Amino acid sequence: MSELAALQRGFGAAIASLEKAAEAAPMFRGPPQAALERLAVYRGNVVGACTKALAGAYPIVAKIVGQSFFEGMAREYLRRFPSTSGDLNEYGAQLAEFVARFPHTQDLPYLPDVARMEWLVHRAYYAADDAPPGARLAPACALLASPWPLARIWEVHQDDYEGEFSVNLEAGPGRILIYRPRFRVLVGPLSAGSYRFLERIGAGAPVATALEAALVAEPGFDLGAALAAWIEARVIVDAGEAT
Amino acid sequence: MDPVGVGLRAVHYEDFLARKRDVGWLEVHSENYFGAGGYDLHVLHRLRADYPISTHGVGLALGSAAPEAGGHVAKLKRLVESIDPVRVSEHLCWGRGFSRHFNDLLPLPYTEEALALMTARVSQLQDSLGRRILVENVSSYLEYRASDIPEGEFIAELARRSGCGVLLDVNNLYVNQLNNGSDARAAMDAIAPGMVAEIHLAGHLVAPHCVVDTHGERVAEPVWALYRAALERFGTVPSLIEWDTDIPPLEVLLQEARRARALQAEACCV
Repeated sequence: MSELAALQRGFGAAIASLEKAAEAAPMFRGPPQAALERLAVYRGNVVGACTKALAGAYPIVAKIVGQSFFEGMAREYLRRFPSTSGDLNEYGAQLAEFVARFPHTQDLPYLPDVARMEWLVHRAYYAADDAPPGARLAPACALLASPWPLARIWEVHQDDYEGEFSVNLEAGPGRILIYRPRFRVLVGPLSAGSYRFLERIGAGAPVATALEAALVAEPGFDLGAALAAWIEARVIVDAGEAT
Repeated sequence: MDPVGVGLRAVHYEDFLARKRDVGWLEVHSENYFGAGGYDLHVLHRLRADYPISTHGVGLALGSAAPEAGGHVAKLKRLVESIDPVRVSEHLCWGRGFSRHFNDLLPLPYTEEALALMTARVSQLQDSLGRRILVENVSSYLEYRASDIPEGEFIAELARRSGCGVLLDVNNLYVNQLNNGSDARAAMDAIAPGMVAEIHLAGHLVAPHCVVDTHGERVAEPVWALYRAALERFGTVPSLIEWDTDIPPLEVLLQEARRARALQAEACCV
């Protein structure tokens, strides 16, 4: 290993874990105690930047567990899933997987699906404005099915929500649509037929096939009414043969 | 000529969209605009019509010994091609390796090996983007025993070998002087006047164990003094007020920008 690589390995290890700091301290000028204190500043910077990025991507998870708990959880997450990109907007993709196994959030069984929803919302925020030729769903759209009422959970945690703060967790399975009419990402509930239709369309199925699947899931599914709303909300960008 | 700019941050989007502000240019962190679309890019394209824009990367970690990961350069290239910034800059640092990214501007040892690596990386980046880039000196809380080239000479030699420009952060020079006992003025003296294409000004925090480059305060008085010296040596170089934590109302940044402009006016007429 080159000298440069060795120095970076030592420095990096000391940032990643306190236990490696004593080993790295002699690489730096000045008394080892001072080097340890300054390595701690770097360690704090990295934890701080990653925590801020995670809280930015998961505001509802942070509200549900509370800020100080979230910060502790973010440290654990960073240990398990360190950042791999120079773009911190890509950090945090595995939080759903993490909270599903995190011992201290097992009393919140809906938390992994809330995290899954928030990551899709986060991705939709940065998605392309226009669909590539041939696509029928807008790039900023996503679907998620869950045993939990995610659309309601999303709604009551919005900063501008003024209604009653209550969620009936027994409300039954929720299917949601994540979409971005212009720049703000929205989350709405979908009926069984709507979900099936958009899922099939997103997978490239012909409209007739998608409609057939939707009618199986929901015999009363009204494609005309649904399509008009989806075109208006920039969910379906190319209705093509359906219109 | 756009003598003084400010860093564009999301909390000030509405201020800039509402009406034209008295600043010469705006600088953005490149990575915040890496998305394929969305509001941030929309705002940047709108503001591009009213202000020159520079893009300042914080994530390439050019001096990392680990082999380069390609995706980041491709996204930067896409942004640079769509915005056509007046200046494109990155940092003299490392930050990647061992299957992770530290998302911090970690200092390099100033050795011939690091210089050779930085020169190769900067040259590759300039080739990929098809344009000259600027490289900024970083703040540092630690100094490697292995360093055997003074910081100013290191960045000057990088500029000579790669043809890149220098983005001189005078606050970082001052922070390093306090933390490591390096000499900020000696570092500036090592850099030839024509090399510096942009200057950064920001605030720092004096913490118990060291001075931290927080970009969360007004520019400190000794940093203004260094800035005056920099203007004397390097001329009226485009200068930026940066603020990244505890971001105050835009007016505070504009006040700092006015002060920088007044110092430029003084320096050019003596």
